[in-house]
Amino acid sequence: MNTASGRIDSLYCGSGVDGAGLRCVVFFSGCNLRCPFCHNPETLYKEGNKTTVAELVQKLERYKGYFRRGGVTLSGGEPFLQRAFYLSLCNALHEKGIRVCAETNGHLADPACIAAADSLICDIKNQETDDLSVYEKFFEECRKQGKEVRVTNVLVPGKNDSEGKLTALAKMMCGCRIGSEIRFLPFRKLCEDKYKELKIPFLYAAVREADTDDIAKAERIFYQNYQK
Amino acid sequence: MKQFKKGLFDEAVDVRGFIQANYTPYEGDEKFLSGPTQRTAKLMEKVNALLKEESEKGGVSDIDTERVSSLLTYPAGYIDKENEIIVGLQTDAPLKRGVNPFGGIRMARQACEAYGYKLSDTVETEFSYKTTHNDAVFHVYTDEMKAVRHAGLLTGLPDAYGRGRIIGDYRRVALYGVDKLIAEKSKEKKAYGEKLMDEANIRTLEELYKQIDFLKKLKDMALLYGIDISAPAKDAKEAIQWTYFAYLAAIKEQNGAAMSLGRVSTFFDIYIERDIENGILTEEGAQELIDDFVIKLRITRQLRTPEYNDLFGGDPTWTTESVGGMGEDGRTLVTKTSYRILHTLYNLGAAPEPNLTVLWSEKLPEPFKKFCAKVSIDTDSIQYENDDLMRPIYGDDYGIACCVSAMKIGKQMQFFGARCNLAKLLLLALNGGKDEKSGNQLAPEGEAFRGVLDYAKVRKAYHKYMEWLCRLYVNTLNVIHYMHDKYAYEKIQMALHDTEVERFLACGVAGFSVAVDSLSAIRYAKVAPVYNEQGIITDFKIEGDFPKYGNDDDRADAIAQELAREFSDELKKTPAYRGAIHTLSVLTITSNVVYGKKTGATPDGRAAGEPFAPGANPMHNRDLSGALASLNSVAKIPYECCRDGISNTFSIVPSALGENREDRAENLTDLLDGYFGQGAHHLNVNVFDRAKLVAAMEHPELYPNVTIRVSGYAVNFHKLSKAHQLEVLKRTYHERV
Repeated sequence: MNTASGRIDSLYCGSGVDGAGLRCVVFFSGCNLRCPFCHNPETLYKEGNKTTVAELVQKLERYKGYFRRGGVTLSGGEPFLQRAFYLSLCNALHEKGIRVCAETNGHLADPACIAAADSLICDIKNQETDDLSVYEKFFEECRKQGKEVRVTNVLVPGKNDSEGKLTALAKMMCGCRIGSEIRFLPFRKLCEDKYKELKIPFLYAAVREADTDDIAKAERIFYQNYQK
Repeated sequence: MKQFKKGLFDEAVDVRGFIQANYTPYEGDEKFLSGPTQRTAKLMEKVNALLKEESEKGGVSDIDTERVSSLLTYPAGYIDKENEIIVGLQTDAPLKRGVNPFGGIRMARQACEAYGYKLSDTVETEFSYKTTHNDAVFHVYTDEMKAVRHAGLLTGLPDAYGRGRIIGDYRRVALYGVDKLIAEKSKEKKAYGEKLMDEANIRTLEELYKQIDFLKKLKDMALLYGIDISAPAKDAKEAIQWTYFAYLAAIKEQNGAAMSLGRVSTFFDIYIERDIENGILTEEGAQELIDDFVIKLRITRQLRTPEYNDLFGGDPTWTTESVGGMGEDGRTLVTKTSYRILHTLYNLGAAPEPNLTVLWSEKLPEPFKKFCAKVSIDTDSIQYENDDLMRPIYGDDYGIACCVSAMKIGKQMQFFGARCNLAKLLLLALNGGKDEKSGNQLAPEGEAFRGVLDYAKVRKAYHKYMEWLCRLYVNTLNVIHYMHDKYAYEKIQMALHDTEVERFLACGVAGFSVAVDSLSAIRYAKVAPVYNEQGIITDFKIEGDFPKYGNDDDRADAIAQELAREFSDELKKTPAYRGAIHTLSVLTITSNVVYGKKTGATPDGRAAGEPFAPGANPMHNRDLSGALASLNSVAKIPYECCRDGISNTFSIVPSALGENREDRAENLTDLLDGYFGQGAHHLNVNVFDRAKLVAAMEHPELYPNVTIRVSGYAVNFHKLSKAHQLEVLKRTYHERV
């Protein structure tokens, strides 16, 4: 019986877009960042539900039959923040033969946490900053360990869709030699209701949502600059 | 020239034996497939114009009110005589509906009137001297039976129309020719003549007479088209034509709700592959044959009343064809023709009929799995049923009748029993046997509940009323099927069955998830009824949260399992007519809307009149833990007590299923493997955005071919009533936000 415990917001069983194949997603509570566009504010501002690794694994195990290519994605919040719980969960899932993908903000380049995941998704938060050095460190560690990382970036019009931002992003990724695969996620305001419910101002309320044209344009700029 | 292998099946009727000895499994991909020929495209253009005209006329193109539909009623009819390969129409013109009053003259009359026609005096006079199935049933119905039927506790009973859900082994006509089938049945009639003349044997003898008589009529029907089907079919074209004629005879004779086709594609494949090998058929020609056959199946029509359409929305015929599956010897039953028949959805465009049903096995060839997934994603026109679950019970030559009813083809049949309303039954129990809508005492008087509901007490009362209803339900069905056999016997379909046939009494439940969630609410939250002046419960006050079915939460799902088992056990306590075996389905067709209308507010917080979820689906938007959690809940319902099927209709938005087409197909394959791997029975798959349906509802003219899976079958979205469309929009569309 694995009694290591942690706090999670919820469990979502059935996603085809959070890593390879079909996946169950565990949303960890707590985050070291406060991004104004965060889609899961409930993981930041709520305490979450206390759960043990054993409880969680017992639930997740029921989905093993769906995991030919998929597995469990640990997301949040920031899963690396509850380090002991995270490591213990990864370990327990591996014992059951279930693959783990960690979805992280890349700010905690913790070698053990990176090592515990079979694959990683890193979302780059360059909307309010030009400093990408944390990612360099994170990617460096992933590369050293030979871990596959999928890079995502929430494209927020007027914030990080400029030529300058995209070029810097491309150059950084090129320099880190982690591959050119990036997925731009269009900024959406579906989460606005969650903010209302939490009585927390949604700082990007006035920003427009990104559309497919924005994404296509960003991809074009990104790949043009990745070559250089 | 390649010939078929010989075997015992040449002597005795044994289609399975012939298939097993002669078919060629196919494990490759879809690349060999051919597009539509010019001829097919031209014919389809003509059919599309006819379909458009039908839709513009309010859903019915034309009705022949002068004649009563049967095998020899109408002269030969064609869509385009010069350009058809497989011939035969139900009446003398495409989409013209025949009148079939054997189930009941009133229904036939009303159906004509609903579309601005009048049933002819000739037919009216003729039937004024006849007892119809409907007349006979009502001669015998007790007051109690009439009352529960009227209140909507038992609904959709086949007491005014053909019961359907019987699959003739239409392939027998192709394999043996009609003469041999007549000879076999005559031999059996002779043998029966040697037996004791008791009621059962006399009945069988009379039925055998009718079967032989209609086999002769089948031959004559084919001769109207200049084709002699007395001998076995010699090539692929003949095999398809002979089989189609047999099916056509069935739908001319009967207007059963579901007139399913069986499992013909792999049978056809044997002829097709032999013709190709012998150089007399090309791939293009093979596809053309299948395309032409499917065009015919798509224009199958029956005349229905608007009330009937409320229960079975979208004008379905359930021309169900079971595709794929595995053989008992471990070889796959997937053949190139399994691909060819699915490929008609591309060659002819997406369509609801025939109701293409893939028998899914974990062991199906991977390329076939992926092809099916792609077809689902592109067309939303196919459903899946678990072959690994059914094969051990039904062998490897079973077919699906209607949506989810498995039966060995030509060896088993069922007495369709519609369903009872489990949610309403719970309200009846809470109201001490009174109907919550009318206030009438429907069932024996019991204690009416006051104050906060106690789970143990409610459960006990519910069980008591379940006992009462199950006995009444089986008795009612016994009356219906006795009379159907007597006054509307399926002569041609039963002629294409073994004489010693195994029968099921197929009962059903509706309002399943509402009943489960209601019990869960009573158990885990605080539920207090609200009463009107007559002391009847009109609403419930619910305090606190409760586990809901559809979230893979064992607390709620255990109630679901228990309920299915309990109901099934109760049914078996009342013997069924003709020694039938009781089975149970959790399936609503589209009647979940009507049943909802007829049911007051329920303890789960569902408002009075609000539609139920279809089939075994979790209630709309309560399954919020993700698509796989929802599937896992449904997968827990035990098939062993729901042997007539557990229907689950699943809708997922493309962007949640995967990032691109390839990923989506892979993920859908994994989803089906994972779901069926747990012993789940059925899945309707829809992959689309809710937005697309909203657009289709607002601008039907721009979306004429939006096909969706509703509850064990597919429909054209625009053929659904507004109420049904709104219900579909309310369903959970699994997405990851």
